[in-house]
Amino acid sequence: MARIGGPDRPRLRALTYGALLAGAFIVLFLLAGILGPVAIAPLTVFHILGYEITGGAFGGSPCGGSVDPTRCATLVLIVWESIVPEILLAFLAGALLGVSGGLLQGVFRNPLADPYLLGISTGAAIGASILFVFGVGVAQANLTLPLLAFVGALLTGLVILLAARSPRSSIETLMLTGVALNAFLSGGLVFTLLYNPIGNLQLNFWLLGGVFGATWSQVGLLVGGVLVVGALVVLHGRALNLLQLGGDVAQSLGLDSRRVVMRSILLASVATALAVAFTGVIGFVGLIAPHIARRLFGYDYRRVLPISAVVGAILLGGAFDLSFAILPSTELPIGVPMAFLGGPFFVYVLYRYRQRSGPGAET
Amino acid sequence: MTLNDPSPPPSRRRTVSLTVLVVAIVLVAGAAVGTTAVYYALHPTGSTNSGGNSTTTVIDDLGRSVTVPLRPTRVVVLGPSIVDSMVLLGVRSSIVGVDCSSAAFGGILGDYTPAQVAAWNLSSRMCITAYPALYPPQILNLTPQLVLAASIVSESTLESFQATYGIPVVILAPSTIGGITYDVQVLNTIFETGSAGAHLVQQLQRTIQEATSFVTNLTDNGTPLRSVLLTYYVVPSGGYAGYSTFGPGSFGQSLLDLAGAVNIAGGTNQGQYPSLSGSQVLSANPSAIVAGYGFGVTNSSYAAGPDWSSFSAVVHGNVSYVDVTYMTEADPTMVLWIPTLAAILYPGVPFA
Repeated sequence: MARIGGPDRPRLRALTYGALLAGAFIVLFLLAGILGPVAIAPLTVFHILGYEITGGAFGGSPCGGSVDPTRCATLVLIVWESIVPEILLAFLAGALLGVSGGLLQGVFRNPLADPYLLGISTGAAIGASILFVFGVGVAQANLTLPLLAFVGALLTGLVILLAARSPRSSIETLMLTGVALNAFLSGGLVFTLLYNPIGNLQLNFWLLGGVFGATWSQVGLLVGGVLVVGALVVLHGRALNLLQLGGDVAQSLGLDSRRVVMRSILLASVATALAVAFTGVIGFVGLIAPHIARRLFGYDYRRVLPISAVVGAILLGGAFDLSFAILPSTELPIGVPMAFLGGPFFVYVLYRYRQRSGPGAET
Repeated sequence: MTLNDPSPPPSRRRTVSLTVLVVAIVLVAGAAVGTTAVYYALHPTGSTNSGGNSTTTVIDDLGRSVTVPLRPTRVVVLGPSIVDSMVLLGVRSSIVGVDCSSAAFGGILGDYTPAQVAAWNLSSRMCITAYPALYPPQILNLTPQLVLAASIVSESTLESFQATYGIPVVILAPSTIGGITYDVQVLNTIFETGSAGAHLVQQLQRTIQEATSFVTNLTDNGTPLRSVLLTYYVVPSGGYAGYSTFGPGSFGQSLLDLAGAVNIAGGTNQGQYPSLSGSQVLSANPSAIVAGYGFGVTNSSYAAGPDWSSFSAVVHGNVSYVDVTYMTEADPTMVLWIPTLAAILYPGVPFA
């Protein structure tokens, strides 16, 4: 049975972890500019970032004065218009996946719950296939691809919600409905892909997950999404704490369990749909982030949810940097290094879960 | 709480607070997005074109109207077929980058044969990784004035690249033999190749006209048209064993049509690039086989193919091995190869 509210971590330890997380953000951000397939001196990267972030407030050359102006313009384009939007998109998508995983693990009281459990990723793939296979909205793919993927993912989540409204539905029923829906949509996806083999290749690559080609407009859209989702998530922490006591006990304490479950699933679906729309399907982030959050800050979901977002952002940012290190000559789909990290972690969690057994087991 | 208590109940206060909070967040988020969009509308991303170049407007193969610099000196080319055209037009020196697979998938030799690398003077230093994905910084690093792309990169990726970085992208991905000539004309316009370009266009048009006459003559003379398996790849064994060939609507089909041959895969319903099993080829019984080598496929690869030694064309020695790029890359070299293909299939019959 989960312990509600921790053991409460000493304030100093919490501050230390917080500082480490903030430091991780900065390091990953800087590494993104240094590790890319185009060789740029670290000092030049620092100058460019400082210049662009401050809007050139301190004057001088964006590259620090040691680089030819024409070459400097190119480097600014590479760093500020390509790499920085990509790492920011990775942070934002990781945050959404992390918080989605936290919500679902809280709702299902299962440490193995994952944002893709409910078939949302396959729904997004169906939406994306409309562009890749049928060429709908190709000319404005920058915006139509995320839109189609988002709509596909959201519709899938809504189907799950409809199942949740049934008075006879249980948590286990919801999970099985998601699994069944995933299988059904996967069959539909394969059928669609038979129509256009070239679209098959493009869609398969999108499914591997990636942030390449990210633009500032996409970052802006996702910032808006994160703000909205974040504000709503903050309100669910206390309710999820009560839910860990079991549905009946929570009900007796005045919590409308069914409504909390439905709202949480809807929120998790929206968060996952937003992330998948812009980055494709990236696994394990939503599974791992809540575990790390609980390890660092305890079991209080008022902390677990926002910290899951932070940890998810760091995980995906780290995977982004790692993708350059694995294959220096190209950008590896971000889902690949994430799978390298997440696979062993998943086995570890599964092992510990089986050891303790039972729903809502602490890990 | 009394009956006369004017305060709203706690649940309503919470609902109102929540609603105000959500609306406020949505407004802030909308403002964030909106100001970003306005900023970029007022500060369009500058292109890396060098100043002072004249420009021209062309219509590419997808019907896109693109304004490009005239006689660009720094061009990134994504597609061997376009490199072929530029070499034949004498503007190879403008190419600063070409498409490659990632190093893990063969690098430059993943997209170009060793013969092409040598003949076109390409090197790994020019590599732009286009497979499995195109990565913009590699292109930006070469400060190109123009990007010419074939169908190896998706239109959506290219559209996004052009919109984000302001570098014009012209997509040359012909779908017919005649489209190859059109692409050469587009390149002539961009590079102002003068007589060299005009000569190449005339060559291509003449070859197609002569091929049409050749087929007509065969028919008029009552010469039976040869049935042919034109194959570019083989899977020797396993569940997917078979010969990759060309179906209706493909360039391979067009090549055989213009060489006066009957494509044994011309009636399949497996799309433009079907795979035929050994038994399917046996059943079709082609009188000739033209097999492409390259990119890891050799003559002996076909010898290991399903039922290969049983094909009558193999038994009677009517198998020709050719550079696979002649049949897979839609470029002027493909068109100029048609007389050679006709000579393979109808030795001794004059083409023109």
